[in-house]
Amino acid sequence: MKSAFRNAVALRTLPHYHFINPHFHSLPRFSVAAVSSPPSSLVSPSKPETFRFRRRSSPLRVRYSSMTGGETDAPASMEKQFEDFRVKLDEAGSLRERIRAVVNEIESITRLMHASLLHVHQSRPLSEVLEKPKAQVDGLKELYGRLAEVLCECPGEYYRFHNDWRSETQTVVSLLAFMHWLETGKLLMHTEAEEKLGMNQAEFALDIEDYLIGLCFLSNEMPRYVVNQVLAGNYDCPRKVLRFLTDLHAAFRMLNLRNDFLRKKFDSLKYDLKRVEEVYYDMKIRHLANGDSAEDNGTQGQS
Amino acid sequence: MFHAPALRSWISSSRSPIIMASKSKTHRLHQLSGTALQSIAKRPRTITTESYMKDAFANYAGYLNELNEKRERVVKSSRDITINSKKVIFQVHSRDNKEEVLKKAEADLEAVKDQYISRLVKELQGTDFWKLRRAYSPGVQEYVEAATFCKFCRTGTLLDLEELNAGLLPLSDPAIEPLQINVFDYLLGLADLTGELMRLAIGRISDGELEFAEKICRFSRDIYRELTLVVPLMDNNSDMKTKMDTMLQSVLKIENACLSVHVRGSEYTLLGSSDPSFLMGVPDMQS
Repeated sequence: MKSAFRNAVALRTLPHYHFINPHFHSLPRFSVAAVSSPPSSLVSPSKPETFRFRRRSSPLRVRYSSMTGGETDAPASMEKQFEDFRVKLDEAGSLRERIRAVVNEIESITRLMHASLLHVHQSRPLSEVLEKPKAQVDGLKELYGRLAEVLCECPGEYYRFHNDWRSETQTVVSLLAFMHWLETGKLLMHTEAEEKLGMNQAEFALDIEDYLIGLCFLSNEMPRYVVNQVLAGNYDCPRKVLRFLTDLHAAFRMLNLRNDFLRKKFDSLKYDLKRVEEVYYDMKIRHLANGDSAEDNGTQGQS
Repeated sequence: MFHAPALRSWISSSRSPIIMASKSKTHRLHQLSGTALQSIAKRPRTITTESYMKDAFANYAGYLNELNEKRERVVKSSRDITINSKKVIFQVHSRDNKEEVLKKAEADLEAVKDQYISRLVKELQGTDFWKLRRAYSPGVQEYVEAATFCKFCRTGTLLDLEELNAGLLPLSDPAIEPLQINVFDYLLGLADLTGELMRLAIGRISDGELEFAEKICRFSRDIYRELTLVVPLMDNNSDMKTKMDTMLQSVLKIENACLSVHVRGSEYTLLGSSDPSFLMGVPDMQS
């Protein structure tokens, strides 16, 4: 921004340039505020006399009077339009604040759920681990309901504010999917996730990309889970997880992904799968895996 | 463009026997995996992957394909709008036959609307206006710039958003949600307008149209001033803030060009309009 000022000064304008835009002293966001203190060495008044004289004459009156606000330069219609904009944007701003408030609550519940679920790495019994998180799902559903209400006030603008709750929702999906898998061994479907969160309304649905990214976050947890289960003596786990992740990976490969965030997450899924395979392989060759039957040769023989 | 990543991942993960020919039609994909199932009999285990997952993901794939294809088409039509709006703007800067040129520019602007914006309307089909905004925003901004530019040259006033959008209503089928320029694209386009106004002012000064240049000066000041109050309220306003910096520079250049003319007023008429040396006070610092 300094360069703009240097330009202005080098153009041999009045050294009092910083008075021209008093607004900016109160709007620190704009770097233009830096205009306020000109280094005096840059000021080159080669014709000081002429300038000072000219300043009092009429051609420059327009500039000064608009500075003091004595003249309303802008036609009424322009002012009105921008006034309308300000009002609308203000409303959107307060709407956004309300959304953020709900999202913060969602985030704190999510953190609690995640912390409870982490007990699964310490091989507590499953029912114990899942007890608290399951109870909190209802709280989440209620919060998403509130979010839906806020959004009802601006129909059609789901995606305008989408980024405000996007990443939290992805985390929520991953936690729900993890809980579902721990209980049933199956993948949580998009429609099932929507139902759990009450997001199956016309105007307020679970975005599919958010759901898919949530699944990738789920897979990120798997390698660690497998390692800790084996440490705790559960030698059956790797085979189950491997089958699950292989299926999930194969399913993901059906998607035509562009080079975006989802694609990157899908790549991380590959590495998770690889890691689980390694653990399973290590166990297999040491004949530690349960159910070491001929049919398992199929999965094992590929790496 | 879609095929490469899926294919690459297939090649790198050499474990799956299923040949995933990465075609965009999902039902064809199902048929393919079906035939693969029968032909690779020696490894039945790995192929009996959960069908519930596959079915579901076939749907997700369909959804993503549709979305991405739509996005591509929108981007393409946005690009067309950008190119043709730029042509309109460029015409208006022409120094000869200004009245004729303006008429032609206005006609071309109408053509941009009738051909290219209507194409955008068709591709969007009344949905995903916010979801795909990033895809069409540049084109719309350029159009706003062109439209407000022409309007100013014609009447000296600012084309407001309501009027601009009213002109777009006939393009949409009454049964669907019409494409309406949102306030952000309008403001972003307006920010770019001052750059063009600056170029116009400098051009008109050297043609001797000082009054018009002063008009431009007042106009751009007004826009800048109004925008300073609105920009802090915009969501995700980082690009707008950069534009404000550029805008201030344009306004400064216009003001200083006008100043030079005022200060040297009498000298200017002696020098004549063909002598650019009076513009010495306005060196082009940043071209």
